[in-house]
Amino acid sequence: MRIEISRLTKTYRGGVHALDGLDLDVPTGMYGLLGSNGAGKTTLMRILAGLLKPTSGTVRIGGHDIATADGRLAVQRALGYLPQDLGVYPDLTARQFLDYIALLKGIDSRATRRRRIGELLEVVALTQDADRRLKGFSGGMLRRAGIAQALLADPRLLIVDEPTTGLDPEERIRFRTLLSQLAGDRTVLLSTHIVEDVAQTCRLLAVLTKGRLAFTGDVGGLVSQADHRVWTLTTPGPAPSHGRVVAAVPEGTGMRYRLIAPTAPDPYARPAEPTLEDGYLALMETGR
Amino acid sequence: MIATFRYEFRMQIRRPVLWIVYGLTFAVIVITLNPAYVDLQRSNDRDDPMTAMIVSADLLMSLLPIVYGCLLADRLVRDRRLGVVGVLDATPTAHTTRLIGKYLGTCAATAVPFTLAYFGRAVVYAIVEGEPSALGWAVVVFVTTTVPALLFVGALGLAGPLLMPPMLFQVLFVVYWFWGNLIYPSMMPTLADTILSPNSQYVAYGLLGYTPAPPGPTETHLIIGPDYYTYGGPTPGGASLDFLRPMADAPVALLWIGVMLVLAVFVLSLARLHTTRTES
Repeated sequence: MRIEISRLTKTYRGGVHALDGLDLDVPTGMYGLLGSNGAGKTTLMRILAGLLKPTSGTVRIGGHDIATADGRLAVQRALGYLPQDLGVYPDLTARQFLDYIALLKGIDSRATRRRRIGELLEVVALTQDADRRLKGFSGGMLRRAGIAQALLADPRLLIVDEPTTGLDPEERIRFRTLLSQLAGDRTVLLSTHIVEDVAQTCRLLAVLTKGRLAFTGDVGGLVSQADHRVWTLTTPGPAPSHGRVVAAVPEGTGMRYRLIAPTAPDPYARPAEPTLEDGYLALMETGR
Repeated sequence: MIATFRYEFRMQIRRPVLWIVYGLTFAVIVITLNPAYVDLQRSNDRDDPMTAMIVSADLLMSLLPIVYGCLLADRLVRDRRLGVVGVLDATPTAHTTRLIGKYLGTCAATAVPFTLAYFGRAVVYAIVEGEPSALGWAVVVFVTTTVPALLFVGALGLAGPLLMPPMLFQVLFVVYWFWGNLIYPSMMPTLADTILSPNSQYVAYGLLGYTPAPPGPTETHLIIGPDYYTYGGPTPGGASLDFLRPMADAPVALLWIGVMLVLAVFVLSLARLHTTRTES
């Protein structure tokens, strides 16, 4: 499902501009949305999921205009949504919770629900815990239950907002792999502030800052934002004042710094190969 | 709607607090206010099944709606508190449909202990007195007097906490219940005994033809005031808001049922409107 966003603006009561004339085109496949906290990612996700009305602008998903009730309904029928702060009913078991959401998604046949829930519990490795109440679940288990509920109706559009926050490294990797596998002919929109998650899963991405589009393109394009601007420096003294320190590792009697700066921050600084994180930080530096 | 009804019913009926609070309140009613509720030998209404069922319903309606309203107070706001609302709103099921399902499901579950207490007594009465017609009267009285009242109180209990913290709502609800339903009208301006009061007796008097027996020696009546025979009409001696206390007859009884239903719909509509405003 292609997402076409045109001049999208969202202003909250009190005059806070969460989105400011955003234009974005999201094709089928895995798509990353990066941005710092408060950049407007969650607002955008909530608008796309039909939870929030934009102040102005248009959003078409799979050809449906979400400003209309019919369009919103058509999108929600094809949507799987994992919100940033997923809540559950603590007194329901994982199986019951999924059954409830499946009913709300219009899966009326009990046999179909049972089969689908069984499959998804298997996919997210919760089969053994399916009949435990959700109040006893860890953060990672809840996220997995969350992704299972998002996949219930075999959605063509999957929106996941900060899905790996709070997961341990092993669970994060497992989650990212799952999302990549799911992409296929779906549109999976992954919103996160964790650059590594996008680096490992997405070919295309956009970067939001202060409600505006700061970058859109492929991963290589974002990495190239830091070309000739990444430096390493090993020194016993303090970090140079010129440039932004992105890493500091103790080494022998000194420190090895990784910096982003338009020119060499120190005569002894040596150029380094940029990563996606460097590209993202360089982009943020440019926008300041 | 059936899905929401089913799961909201299930979640509410499983709450231990539902059974504990109802049990304690019921015990207070029986022990301190009317032992005749469980001791039929002390009841003065045993010769008339309809009267017995009306008195039963009246007695339960005195205090149990407080429990009913308070136990509903967190049901609507908890979706937001738990963070479930995002997932629910992203489904194709309309918000209004879910609201109605939640309303009916939680109200039905919260009314279960109430219903068990009422029909339990009806069954015991029917057996002890050899009056099977009591069961039929129990259904008639419950449907016409208790259900409309609970529908309104349920809507109020569910929607009220949208405007204030649930704890504050519960306190104010208890105050409302005593002031608006149990105070004798000549003591102060009150909604008690008016067409707007869920505890009114318009159906009993106007539709079912109930005429109360004088209070028995062991009976204590909950209406705080001097005159026991004041239901279903203007207050003897006059009271403020008496224009809301028409004489009880069949049309007025039906009007009362209609008012309860309209108030329930009105409160739920406000709740829906409030949610729409907070969404944007």
